[in-house]
Amino acid sequence: MTDTSIADPSNDMEPFNLQFPFTRTLGNTLSTFFSAVAQGQLIGVKVGGRVIAPPLEYDPETGADAGSEWVKVGPRGTVSAWTYVPEPTHLHPVQGPFAFAFVTLDGADTPMIHVVEAPEDQLRSGLRVEARFKEGDEVNGRIDDFVFVPATDPSPSEGAGEPYQAPAEPEIQTMDAYCDLTYVDNAAPVTRVWTQALLEGKLVGRTCPQCGRTFVGAVSLCCVDAIELDESTQSEMPQTGVVTNFTVITPVPYPGQKETEPFVRCSVMLDGTDAVLGQQTIVGIPASEVRVGMHVALEWEPEGQRDVSEIGNGGHGSTGGAVVGWKPTGEPDEPAENYVDRMM
Amino acid sequence: MPRTENDIAIVSYAQSPLLRRSENTETEMMLSTVQGAIKAAGLGKGDIGFTVSGSCDYLSGRGFSFVANVDAYGAYPPINESHVEMDGSFAMYEAFVRLLQGDIDTAVAAGVGKTSNSDPATLYTIEMDPYYLTPLGADVASLSALQYRALLDSGKVTERDVAEVVARNRRAAKDNLNAQVSGDFDVDELLAAPYVRNPLRRHDLPPVTDGCAAVVLARGQKAYELCERPVWITGIDHRIEPHLPTMRQDLTSSVSTRLAAEGAGVASGPVEVAEIHAPFSFQELIVREALGLGDDTEINPSGGALAANPVMVTGLLRVIEAAKQIAENGRSRTLAHTTSGPCLQQNLVCILEGDQ
Ligand SMILES: [Zn+2]
Repeated sequence: MTDTSIADPSNDMEPFNLQFPFTRTLGNTLSTFFSAVAQGQLIGVKVGGRVIAPPLEYDPETGADAGSEWVKVGPRGTVSAWTYVPEPTHLHPVQGPFAFAFVTLDGADTPMIHVVEAPEDQLRSGLRVEARFKEGDEVNGRIDDFVFVPATDPSPSEGAGEPYQAPAEPEIQTMDAYCDLTYVDNAAPVTRVWTQALLEGKLVGRTCPQCGRTFVGAVSLCCVDAIELDESTQSEMPQTGVVTNFTVITPVPYPGQKETEPFVRCSVMLDGTDAVLGQQTIVGIPASEVRVGMHVALEWEPEGQRDVSEIGNGGHGSTGGAVVGWKPTGEPDEPAENYVDRMM
Repeated sequence: MPRTENDIAIVSYAQSPLLRRSENTETEMMLSTVQGAIKAAGLGKGDIGFTVSGSCDYLSGRGFSFVANVDAYGAYPPINESHVEMDGSFAMYEAFVRLLQGDIDTAVAAGVGKTSNSDPATLYTIEMDPYYLTPLGADVASLSALQYRALLDSGKVTERDVAEVVARNRRAAKDNLNAQVSGDFDVDELLAAPYVRNPLRRHDLPPVTDGCAAVVLARGQKAYELCERPVWITGIDHRIEPHLPTMRQDLTSSVSTRLAAEGAGVASGPVEVAEIHAPFSFQELIVREALGLGDDTEINPSGGALAANPVMVTGLLRVIEAAKQIAENGRSRTLAHTTSGPCLQQNLVCILEGDQ
């Protein structure tokens, strides 16, 4: 087995945890199902002559509305295929070894994919299992409110196949969903060059040999000409410039937001170049006094206190925690015709 | 058959190195690969009528990475561009359909995946049914293992048949300079390996790969202007089955592949080589049967997805490998198959032909 050249793991960045909680509305079919689950009752829907469980809003054979002819299914069922998860991840609903299986509930004509808690050597096609429901305040009205375990009594479930009378207004109308994924990106070569320069108190840019445009930040290509810009195109950039664009942001609270008062983000065109740094901070004056054309100079964090850990790939001109911000110099404003095309 | 202005061919292709972990970003991989394919056709970025890519932000974990990737096209002056959150082969299908409109005669399609940033054991839970499967942490290996179990229980194949698929792909990959996993493996030793998801063993799973690939398509006479031996796409079809694996008619015989094969006209001539996109080893046997291929068809001389699996690219690589057989290896009729979604949910089949 040959793994070809692997990127140096020392260039891996800090793990990044992507989370976003959101609430899904369920609609009638799923509301009815999950409300029944919360009561410890499994149901299916009868459509096209068969019982689909868990119920779907449509008949997968025809695409037709599956209607609302609810049928009681389970709580016992039969395994038709299985696999074993010896080491669960944090996303699995049980934290010891378990099986995923196709379970066809008594009274249903289609299997469902669900968790079976049983030793691996007990698993086989034909195994009789029964649903074990959560109780009390553990009940959410979700698909993980129950797991299957080997049935103590393999006989057919009582009441399976009988009609289920749904409440007019099902109790469970929404479902809290949650995304929780961890990523480890690695710093691209150009990102490492950019952050190293920041640590040394320098700004660097790369100039396209074809169009002459200069790109400041972790940029390794000319997005106009679609050519690579390697280190031979790189030079040190001035640390003074002109504000060519700005916005005042009034913060609303969200996870990760550190600002509490209105703040400015602006574009700065570096003196003597056509290079623009975006998303920059202005310091030393109130947000209401920031204007385009204003001359500014870069103020660095003291050496040794520059933090570049939050600068990722493609952050372009991101200066992270290496700088305090841009301070007005007090020089007369630059005439608009000198920066009119350099807003971003 | 003489070619018409409605016939569309692959005229060039390019791919990045396929690595366990690239130090480059998706955009950087795209730049050298997409521009490399355009240059190989003797064209410049301004000569392309339509540009389309396939990628997924969730792989690299970078929001709007598919927008950042537009930087690799040099999209100024503005270009005609599209994106699918699917494999690059489905992007190629969109480019094919776009060319059929007849107002442009070139297009580029690409796929890119920086998959090493994420963990396949958790990532693909979010592509599953959000009500019935994602809350269970239903991962793609577990669902594939259920499909494999159903296949074994059907009596159609044995674990030994599947281990032979692995050994054959890895052996073939020895001749593929881009293969990440290759070599000679003993079937009995493979069968002695422990299960990671019974009945799946580690070698039944694809490797984690970063990479990019691109093809340039041209219509009618333009194809002859751009290359010596155009690889004509003489049939292409894409079919999809229900999202929930338990709602499929039969998990052990891919109905969508069979219908796509019929639509693409697979049976109307001999198939010399078939490149099958089977991320999990046993799926090759299901697809092969559904395609209706005989024993005289060579399967996966590249080593397939088991040799390298840059997600969002692996299918387009199958197209490129099948095209290479015609452009560089003297074959005249080959097949590329690509898949998407859990347990072979979606399948695309295309037939490639060279001029006699
Ligand atoms: Zn340029």
